[in-house]
Amino acid sequence: MLFDEMNKNDQLVIGDKAFSSRLFTGTGKFNDQKTMVAALKASQSELVTMALKRVDMQHRDDDILAPLIKNGMNLLPNTSGARNAKEAVFAAELAREALQTNWIKLEIHPDPKYLLPDPIETLKAAEMLASKGFVVLPYVHADPVLCKHLEAAGCAAVMPLGAPIGSNKGIKTADFLEIIIEQANIPVIVDAGLGSPSHAAFAMEMGADAVLVNTAIAVAGNPVAMSEAFAKAVQAGRQGYLAGLGGQSSQAIASSPLTVFLEAACEFQR
Amino acid sequence: MKIHVNEQIVELADNSNIEQLLTYLDKPLMGSAIAVNQEIISRSHWADTILNEGDNISLFQAIAGG
Repeated sequence: MLFDEMNKNDQLVIGDKAFSSRLFTGTGKFNDQKTMVAALKASQSELVTMALKRVDMQHRDDDILAPLIKNGMNLLPNTSGARNAKEAVFAAELAREALQTNWIKLEIHPDPKYLLPDPIETLKAAEMLASKGFVVLPYVHADPVLCKHLEAAGCAAVMPLGAPIGSNKGIKTADFLEIIIEQANIPVIVDAGLGSPSHAAFAMEMGADAVLVNTAIAVAGNPVAMSEAFAKAVQAGRQGYLAGLGGQSSQAIASSPLTVFLEAACEFQR
Repeated sequence: MKIHVNEQIVELADNSNIEQLLTYLDKPLMGSAIAVNQEIISRSHWADTILNEGDNISLFQAIAGG
């Protein structure tokens, strides 16, 4: 089957939505709004994250919402800034009002140095939010046991990390992501730390359902070109996964019948 | 009447509602969320929620983020 044909039937379903693109993107850290919109369009992403903050009364923030809605992107607000479950639930309820969506990227990372997610507060918040009807996508460490608990709590997907947020270090958690992917009955979206298109392709080849990329695109020399590169890498990785990767071996397994050819040559020289 | 919006005192006409407050502050309706005395007010009630002297308003807005 040609990939285009394969691709047509390969939609990712999360909650009540189906996605053709398996590259989700963030809106943070871009130099300006124009570049952000151009990069997000080039990524073909259908789900983009946003944050919420207390309004600074002295100064007016750029309206980044209008161009996102105009371009038909689904919005995924996050709970960034929440330090515990209670604050995360409050942030999710505010985000639902602000963006009129019950989708929420649940993230609770009280430590500003590594921004690692708090598993206990995240699970508590996930249970509360799922029972309130939210479509919950929790950002977590690559912990297979926690991911099963979050699935049981009613989360729509899990978002385990490859490396700390914004670190661009790539997939440092590969062995554990493999276990999460093997065990999950809900989509697995590898989030955080993906620094280059090859990292994204690697995650997709492993069988991740999607990846979320922000920093690597936003801080690139050319964010629009990098966005396209990530889109291609995600497609290539997904196609590689669907095509079925060959098994690995520590010994060489010849791809060409070299021996026969050499023996024939020796015969000729005699 | 005087109310507090994100820790700042704002002088507003009596019997103003939330929509009128946002317009007065020149803040966009889209992408905003609001809590009055720690209680989140749903968008559908912004026009009929009348503010009172001394109310504590928390105003939030969607911004870029990952």
